[in-house]
Amino acid sequence: MMNLQDLEKQVIRMEDIQEIENLQRRYGYYFDTRNFQAVVDLFSDSADFADLESFGLFRGKEGIRRLYWDDIGRGSRPRDPSESWISTVVIQIGGVVNLDPSGVAAKGRWQTWLAETFLYGGVPRQYWVHGYYENEYVKERGKWFFKKLFWNVTFFTMFETGWLTQPLVGLLPMANPDGPPTAFYPYPSGYKFPYHYNHPITGE
Amino acid sequence: MNLEELEKRVTLMEDIQEIENLQRVYAYYFDLQRWEDIIDLFSDNAESVEIVDHGLFLGKEGIKKMYWDWIGKGIRSANQPWIQFIITQIGGVMDFSPDGKTAWGRWQTWLCEAKPFGAFPKQEWLHGYYENKYVKENGKWFFSKLHWNNTFCSPFEDGWLKTPLMGLMNYHPTVKPDAPPTAFHPYPSGYHFPYHYKHPITET
Amino acid sequence: MATLEELQARITRLEDIKQIEKLQRIYGYYLDYFEFQKVVDLFSDNAESVEIADYGVYKGKQGVKRFYLELLGGKPPRIGELSIGMIMQGVVDVDPNGKTAKGRWYCMMIEAKPTISLHEGELRQLWGNGIYENEYVKEEGKWLFKKVFFFLNFRTPYEDGWLKVPVVGQHGPSKEVPPDEPSTYYHPYPSGFHLQPHYKHPITGK
Repeated sequence: MMNLQDLEKQVIRMEDIQEIENLQRRYGYYFDTRNFQAVVDLFSDSADFADLESFGLFRGKEGIRRLYWDDIGRGSRPRDPSESWISTVVIQIGGVVNLDPSGVAAKGRWQTWLAETFLYGGVPRQYWVHGYYENEYVKERGKWFFKKLFWNVTFFTMFETGWLTQPLVGLLPMANPDGPPTAFYPYPSGYKFPYHYNHPITGE
Repeated sequence: MNLEELEKRVTLMEDIQEIENLQRVYAYYFDLQRWEDIIDLFSDNAESVEIVDHGLFLGKEGIKKMYWDWIGKGIRSANQPWIQFIITQIGGVMDFSPDGKTAWGRWQTWLCEAKPFGAFPKQEWLHGYYENKYVKENGKWFFSKLHWNNTFCSPFEDGWLKTPLMGLMNYHPTVKPDAPPTAFHPYPSGYHFPYHYKHPITET
Repeated sequence: MATLEELQARITRLEDIKQIEKLQRIYGYYLDYFEFQKVVDLFSDNAESVEIADYGVYKGKQGVKRFYLELLGGKPPRIGELSIGMIMQGVVDVDPNGKTAKGRWYCMMIEAKPTISLHEGELRQLWGNGIYENEYVKEEGKWLFKKVFFFLNFRTPYEDGWLKVPVVGQHGPSKEVPPDEPSTYYHPYPSGFHLQPHYKHPITGK
């Protein structure tokens, strides 16, 4: 039978997994409500990068602020009420979270399903989007933060067409990344976004 | 730390798991159209239930009216076979009161429905958020307050951009709410369903 | 106040639930990429069966291998073939012995698949939905699949929707890789049949 200290470690591990799941879900909810300052505040000050879709690679906390606040959130410009139709619903599904033995680092793979609406080519459109995350998290001052956010898009299609007919509506590069996207190979490329984990049974 | 503190933390982890289960079990009963079983998931001191724009229903009596009379149409057996509810529960974020007896949870839902609207059978995509309240009574968790906020209810054929809301559902010939809906502002209003929680990092 | 032993049992149960959730999600991710050997390796050597939609029951570890490797994996995926399963809403119950467990899950499918049979015909884009009622077993400290049972609700063309065209694609068992037994329970939409949960009501116990 284990002692109090070991038991405490077990409890902490469980709490860590729960908190990371919560962090990921809260990210999703803040994104949906377009609270991009809140999103940026979920990242560590020593965050590595964010690489989403075909936006490009954004490095460091400064890059993350540039991506979410300036680019996606369009800075401090208040939203015109007539733009309220522009929306995202990003649903976070199926997290596989693995804690590093150090207890202060973790990795997670998630699936996302999105229903989005925004202008493309000057025309308001509705989209279905699917993607996987392979994220990294870090524990600082007792709280969990995002260290690395890597969102790999499978397809980005219009509601009217579907992924087989039109897997990608087009490219969405941002004007000011630190580098090109590192792994943007949408369907039907057959690209498999690598897992951070080994097979749980065979260990391979 | 000592055994007593550790027990508190284990209990909290168990509470989270139990509430997640409660929420998911609710949803499966909804889809199975087992309305009595849903009512039994609510505390006898339940506060209220609010779903789409049906209105605000107070107390355990209100809960019975909502699920048994309105949604369940007061019948014991299931609806006609083609009527389908699939309300998938995703991404729960839970927070607890210091005494561990009350909890709040935000969830996302994605729905595939088939039900009559007027004279016609319709198939719809829906999205919504929950902000629910749970209470612990005699060691078990119950629903105290359920609030489902509908983002869109769109016919399968159209999509949320074209037809965000199939129609209003705020009238029933015999079942009367206790008050009008408190927060029915579907897409594309731009309404953000408020969080029960503060930002985990900045605490604003 | 609980003893150390009791607390340990309680935390182990919570960890078991998290492990099973993880196992189920990893299963889903391997299936997304057609990595069938990896899926088979998630099953216990004493696995009971796998039964999906109306393909029939494949028994034992042998049946599991035949199902995933020969039936589903019999031909490599075609260019443009897509089969994403978003697995969610898990309700996992660990038996008091701590060695077996059951789980109910929803699966929302996003597919581009042939519809004459599992491998024949032109690709069509499909929405799918179904319920897993699975069983798990703990062996040497690790959780593995004991039984996978997938109840298909609908598999509809993107252009039509579940109301208009509830199920397309392979109907019934394969002749090339036949099952060990016919399917036990196949009532897709709009049959009105509901796959009941493995668990009892958490409050009334019924």
